[in-house]
Amino acid sequence: MSNPNEATLLERYASEVFAGLVAPMEGVEISPLTADDPLAKEDVLVRMNRELKRALEKPASERRWVMVIDLRRCIGCHACTVACIAENKLPPGVVYRPVMTEEIGTYPNVTMKFLPRPCMQCEKSPCTEVCPVTATYHNEEGIVVVDYDQCIGCRACMAACPYGARTFDFGYNYSEQLPVFDGAIVGGETAAGYEHASQEYGEAWKREGSHESPVGNVRKCHFCLHRIKDGILPACTTTCIGRATYFGDANDPDSLVTELINKPNVIRLKEELGTEPRVYYIV
Amino acid sequence: MLKKISYAVGALALLFGLWGVYIRLFEGEQSANYGSYIGWGLWVAMYLFLAGLAAGAYMLAAFDYLFNVPQFKGTGKTMLWAALVTLPAGLVSIGLDLGHIDRIWKVYLQPNFTSFLALMVWGYTLFLILILISLYLAFTKPEQRVMKIVMWIGFIMAILVAGGVGFLLGGNASRLYWHVGLLPVQFPVFALASGAGLMLLIVGWFMPSLEEKQRGDLLWMLAIITIATSVVKLYFVVADYTQSLYGGATDNLIAVQYVLTGPHKFMFWGVQIILGILIPVLVLAQPKLAKNGFVAGLMGVFLLIGYAAARILIVVPGQVAEMMPGQVEAFHGPKLTLAYSPSLMEWSVTSAVMGFALLGILVGMDYLLGYLARFTEAKK
Repeated sequence: MSNPNEATLLERYASEVFAGLVAPMEGVEISPLTADDPLAKEDVLVRMNRELKRALEKPASERRWVMVIDLRRCIGCHACTVACIAENKLPPGVVYRPVMTEEIGTYPNVTMKFLPRPCMQCEKSPCTEVCPVTATYHNEEGIVVVDYDQCIGCRACMAACPYGARTFDFGYNYSEQLPVFDGAIVGGETAAGYEHASQEYGEAWKREGSHESPVGNVRKCHFCLHRIKDGILPACTTTCIGRATYFGDANDPDSLVTELINKPNVIRLKEELGTEPRVYYIV
Repeated sequence: MLKKISYAVGALALLFGLWGVYIRLFEGEQSANYGSYIGWGLWVAMYLFLAGLAAGAYMLAAFDYLFNVPQFKGTGKTMLWAALVTLPAGLVSIGLDLGHIDRIWKVYLQPNFTSFLALMVWGYTLFLILILISLYLAFTKPEQRVMKIVMWIGFIMAILVAGGVGFLLGGNASRLYWHVGLLPVQFPVFALASGAGLMLLIVGWFMPSLEEKQRGDLLWMLAIITIATSVVKLYFVVADYTQSLYGGATDNLIAVQYVLTGPHKFMFWGVQIILGILIPVLVLAQPKLAKNGFVAGLMGVFLLIGYAAARILIVVPGQVAEMMPGQVEAFHGPKLTLAYSPSLMEWSVTSAVMGFALLGILVGMDYLLGYLARFTEAKK
């Protein structure tokens, strides 16, 4: 600890962090937090949760859900991808929010760039236009959803999506290879039970056999609508360890997302296609 | 002899295909090789091919009933029958590609008419009805005005459904390889060209009953149509690919390079260009060879194989570029790949569809059309 300032800082933070766990050390004073202290700031999750509840008090058609991803803060940990899979019980081969990695430069001047890619929830969505049976459409909040019981599995929406945000459920299961021996090993059955407990769109999807929806359907990110309706932020947002993903109502002038998307360093992907995505990136 | 061999080939193809159809219907789509990034594969390509073939066959039937071209006299019923067989065969191919074929009725009862796919389903249904009516009128009122009216509507419909398939792909603005104005324009030409290939096969191998001179003249005329459409097709391909390579838009470049130098380059150079265009054009340009039934039929087979390959090389390369750079490496799982070669199950299903089409045409020509002619005569 060569720098005395660092030593002082560490001592202070350590004391404050552990203040509730251990008895105060003699000679260490816990100073009151000042307004510019990082620890005095409210976690954005708390703010977004509060704003989410505020938005839910409005009629659905007056909300405009948007997602903002701060690429400067994304560390490429893929926690959002995994959280999404766990939340929506996604089977092998189905992914809603992969994180693209791009290597920039040549050795030894190399750096990495990460790009999480949920569904862009385009306002002018090419995928909904091409669906022959209106199985994918904008719900009253403007989110692009898939009606699994309506989808015929033609994959036209997959071909139309400029962001590759849709994948097809071929009926694979993570638990299908697990061993099961009566009375001895029951892990396989238990795992299958968890795996088939998806609550997407507020319904229980069993995914049994090779034909039961959503098997044979195209699937995509829906901003965790089933969580939103209960006042819970999307799984990718709450799981982001770098607080790089923000979610909220862009029709609320006081919301964090409105604050963020009105800044000049915000872009949307493939703007030239005129799809008007609802996912914004801070660069 | 050729007909017997064709019956055997058709039966074997159907037999081998039943295995694939069983797997597809009862075990799902896991044993297919198309996936989430290349979502449309062999079956979609064969649907385009067979639907185009139906449109082309109808156009050639119009040469008899609508334009009264003397060389085509007496061939209209056969070509209408060929259209009636190949269209459902194409629809079976695309039907088995659906994740939920059991819900196909929704396209009729709950359609979304902003979807070109829905319009195509309705268009094909209408076209199928028109083929049926045309065939009925061909037996009952071939010389009457109503036949001309129906054939005109059917002829226009054939162009529209053929071109519509091009639009179905080309309407996807994010797929640069498809999103060219030429694509919907190409398809009616492709349809006529493949229809001519089918007719060369039918007249050359399966219609010995035609009078010798008419047969020779008809084959020669089909040869001219084939040469003309092949030159146009070659021009389209050269124009399209040259423009793409010169323009250098990344996604388009990836797709064209996939065709020209990718893992399936043999399908382009060997099958589509040499087997499907150069050999038939060189052979059919010689009147003596073009008028020889066996040679003409063989060239018809080459043409059909070439056009089937051309359809695959339109459908698959349009999907080989990543929609987002790094997408494939970002997440791994079954069927999340940009590599595609049809699986044995997919080939098997296509084999069933082709076997069905071949046997359907043969059985129709040998039994059904004759029976219908006798039945209509007796009724009169």
